[in-house]
Amino acid sequence: MKRFKIAIAAVASAALLLAGCGGEPAGPSSDFDPNAPVTLDLAFWGNDTRAGFYKNAIAKFNEKYPKITVNSTFLPFPEFWEKRQIEAAGRDLPDVMQFDYAYLRQYSQNKLLLDLKPYLGKYIKTDGFTESTLGIGVVNGVTTALPIGTNAWAMFTNTALLTKSGAGAYTGATSWDEYATWMGSVSKAGGGSVWGGTDPTGRIQNFEISLRANGKNLFDDAGAAQFTKAELAEFWGKGAQVRGTGATIPTKRLLEVAPKSGFGAGLTTSELTWDNFGAGYAGDLGADASGLALSAPPVTKAGAKDLYLKPSMLHAIAANSEHPEASALLVDFLLNSQEAGAVFGTNRGLPASSTHLAGVKLDPLSQKILDYETSIKDRLGAAPPVPVVGYGSIEEKFRQLGEELGLGTVTVEQAVDQFFSEMDTILKK
Amino acid sequence: MVTVPTPTGTPTARGSGRTAERRTAAASPAGEPRRPGRASGGAAAARRETIAGYGFLAPWLVGFFGLTVGPMAVSLYLAFTRYDIFTPPEWVGFGNFVRMFTDDPVFLRSAQVTLEYVLIGTPVKLAAALAIALLLNSITRGSGFFRSAFYTPSLIGASVSVAIVWRAMFAGDGAVDSSLQILGIDLGGWVGDVDLAIPMMIILVVWQFGAPMVIFLAGLKQVPTELYEAAQVDGAGPVHRFWKVTVPMLSPVIFFNLLLETIHAFQVFGSAFIISNGSGAPGGRLNFITLYMYKRGFADMQMGYAAAIAWVVLVVVAIIAAIMFRTARSWVYYAGDNR
Amino acid sequence: MTTVEHVQPGHGTAEITARDAPPARRRGRRRGLATTIVWYLMLLVLAAIVLYPLVWLFFATLKPSSEFGRNSGLLPWEPTLDNYARVWDGIAGIPLWRYGLNSLIVASLAVVGTLASSALAGYAFARVSFKGSGILFAAMIGTLLLPFHVIIIPQYIIFNQLDLLDTYVPLLIGKFLGTEAFFVFLMVQFIRNIPRELDEAARIDGAGHPRIFWSIVVPLLRPALVTGGIFSFIWTWNDFLGPLIYLTSPENYTLPIALRLYNDTTSTSDYGATVAASLLSLIPVLLFFLIFQRMLIRGVATQGLKG
Repeated sequence: MKRFKIAIAAVASAALLLAGCGGEPAGPSSDFDPNAPVTLDLAFWGNDTRAGFYKNAIAKFNEKYPKITVNSTFLPFPEFWEKRQIEAAGRDLPDVMQFDYAYLRQYSQNKLLLDLKPYLGKYIKTDGFTESTLGIGVVNGVTTALPIGTNAWAMFTNTALLTKSGAGAYTGATSWDEYATWMGSVSKAGGGSVWGGTDPTGRIQNFEISLRANGKNLFDDAGAAQFTKAELAEFWGKGAQVRGTGATIPTKRLLEVAPKSGFGAGLTTSELTWDNFGAGYAGDLGADASGLALSAPPVTKAGAKDLYLKPSMLHAIAANSEHPEASALLVDFLLNSQEAGAVFGTNRGLPASSTHLAGVKLDPLSQKILDYETSIKDRLGAAPPVPVVGYGSIEEKFRQLGEELGLGTVTVEQAVDQFFSEMDTILKK
Repeated sequence: MVTVPTPTGTPTARGSGRTAERRTAAASPAGEPRRPGRASGGAAAARRETIAGYGFLAPWLVGFFGLTVGPMAVSLYLAFTRYDIFTPPEWVGFGNFVRMFTDDPVFLRSAQVTLEYVLIGTPVKLAAALAIALLLNSITRGSGFFRSAFYTPSLIGASVSVAIVWRAMFAGDGAVDSSLQILGIDLGGWVGDVDLAIPMMIILVVWQFGAPMVIFLAGLKQVPTELYEAAQVDGAGPVHRFWKVTVPMLSPVIFFNLLLETIHAFQVFGSAFIISNGSGAPGGRLNFITLYMYKRGFADMQMGYAAAIAWVVLVVVAIIAAIMFRTARSWVYYAGDNR
Repeated sequence: MTTVEHVQPGHGTAEITARDAPPARRRGRRRGLATTIVWYLMLLVLAAIVLYPLVWLFFATLKPSSEFGRNSGLLPWEPTLDNYARVWDGIAGIPLWRYGLNSLIVASLAVVGTLASSALAGYAFARVSFKGSGILFAAMIGTLLLPFHVIIIPQYIIFNQLDLLDTYVPLLIGKFLGTEAFFVFLMVQFIRNIPRELDEAARIDGAGHPRIFWSIVVPLLRPALVTGGIFSFIWTWNDFLGPLIYLTSPENYTLPIALRLYNDTTSTSDYGATVAASLLSLIPVLLFFLIFQRMLIRGVATQGLKG
């Protein structure tokens, strides 16, 4: 029996780790010839529109480097990551990937991504980036990704709907209590068909900015939580109060309109989210973006630097790539070139690289985002450490518990306990 | 004398020898009873049978050993490890199983909702499928149309569209709620209601009852019409004919559907995933065991734990399947085995 | 307790077989007209209920994306054909029919492979007595029980090693090798229910297993083959996870993946195009079902018993 176990273990380990072969990549080779024919795989998430942009951008790239063939593949976000995880198990990731912040630490720590440092400057120009944006994709001192665009936490309001319902506009950067009062006034005017907003305590980002107002982050550099059960209980307790006044849309109603949000379905007049969600909202609402306004989230503590710029998405190169130099050239083109900027516009977020941004013709919505990010300059603090491994799951658990609190299937105490136990499970693995 | 085969006849009517033979028949799938006439053929015949058997089974054997056994063995091994896909699996013995049953309320809750779903959903779906199949089998005109109509919902599978349709049907102002209000029942929207979420999923799975229905229909086509006529001559009423002719003759197919639908219900994934946006909402009521396993495996990268959950499910379903096979001996009748 | 006696081994069916069936008296005709009307009414009402969600889906294809989640009624507030226009444009420069063609190729080959491999294996389990058949049968049932998700990664690694990613081989090879136990078991159940007198007779004429299989069992297995073929086609057509894992180039994608591409929650989701495309993608499977369900009427197994 024991021998059988060992045999199975050997087979399994061999199968699972056969890709472990191949040591540390040696960095760019000196005899790289950009005119030698190579084929690269490029993977990104997004919809049809974005796929069209990538196609055009690759065509522009090929005007410069006709011998580098780029095969692109794309999927929606969840499926994109499902596929990457399986490829990662086989150490067979595409050469160039559009990357998400939440997965960066996991892939970096497991050495699945190429250390970009040797390529910076020579293959990937860095003059368009600021010191802080260059530092966004650094995990444990190694640069494994560069930001394509940045975004910040923001408050969207539907001015068109507000006007229709006769309620006043939200001024931005009020206290949380004032925000709740305003939501209540809208919900009252809406008479059961329009609400002021969604309970903000269902999103971990709102908890994060309230922590940051007090000088803390969700997690420290070592990946330990920086908040206590009491703090979370207080936060969710406030949510229960707000829901109790009927100021926010009932959770039941939200579940019915999912996958749209209450805001996207035209049922609420405000929602806190990342500032690049405007185009998605406009699509969901079937209106142009002129009826949407961006304002600063409520303030927890006056003068605090609670907001920060997060990469909306990044570009990374797989460690298993056989053509790191050519991949780096492609990344440079997609990140920095004016040509690519002209093609993508703000589809992938407000460009992080100024040279890329120079090529972008800003539409009114993008202009609003740019104006918004400028307007909150004083509230922008240092970005928190790159999210812990499993952050996506933690964020999702927070959202689910927020939902359960809204449905009344758990008490605040139970929710807090469940959240901490889930967090322990995920963090210790 | 009219003879209608029924495995549920009075036991005393049967000789003990026959009972023994039936048992042999059920024990080996081929149900190969001893053949007095061929006993003298001896070893050579047996060898020929074995060669033929493995010959017919060759493609399946290649697939089984090449594609299924290996991955299954790996998953069994992983069930005893901590494995995050990125680093080598680390042996933890029974740790995953201990955690599952002592330290994971979410697992226990999802096991509970899965059981609820299986125990209610499967019989309802099968009853609906059999009832409609019998109705369809007894009409002569338009059966093709009705068959297609009843099968169409099963064509969609578990796509985004199903989620959109189902949410709209069961929303607060959707078709279901409106119809129920006409009857004076006001339940409100089902989608966000923790008590109505499982019923909603059960209605979805019952709605897609096309597969067992078609299998029942194909089985009904195998029932020789002579049997009905003989029973009728004998004065048996429709109810009697159903129990004494249809059920026994259909029993292999009933058994097949019962077993397969039970297994499928335990493995419900696509529809629940899509309806709840992968979250098992509302309030974890749709967090069926495969959904939970998938989340632990692919979102939290706890592949070892996910494999352990899969094997627990496998063992539970295997026990249920074994019980079904065992009881099948007393009620499943095979025309080709009966001699 | 019962007036109907238990069948005697070897007699019951033979007796019936021997009797020349009277010119098929239709049971339906002997039923009263009233009963018939009631049955048809019942069927009509049930069909209407069952089809309503699909009718709703059809009207939903005429709704602009903004109405999704807001208008759960049947009729669109502002009917439009734009959804179909966008579907017509295809995805990423690839027309929708291309994805449909990919799906058609995969699903058709899957039907051939599944039926061939599972009928062979089913015959072995149901009709041949060989050493080890019991344990292999149990193993076959065992493969039904493991959720697909846990064997994805090892299987992926196998096909990756064989350099078969982004081809249809990983999606099809299992079908040709009967790895879907559902179909093998389906065949086993149906073959076991075919009276054995027929192969006995053939055996006396000197036929071996291959001939019995081909000239007796396969024709009598037709309802099961048609059923299996329908399922195999539809399930392969709708399969999402397999193509997601094994296909990389958008031009190789099958329809279910392509349909998902209209919806990316991180950018703009096009619900209107999603439902329009999924309704269009129903048409080929519906046609397939309409054509093959006719064969469920013909090819009644008892034919062989007469005469």
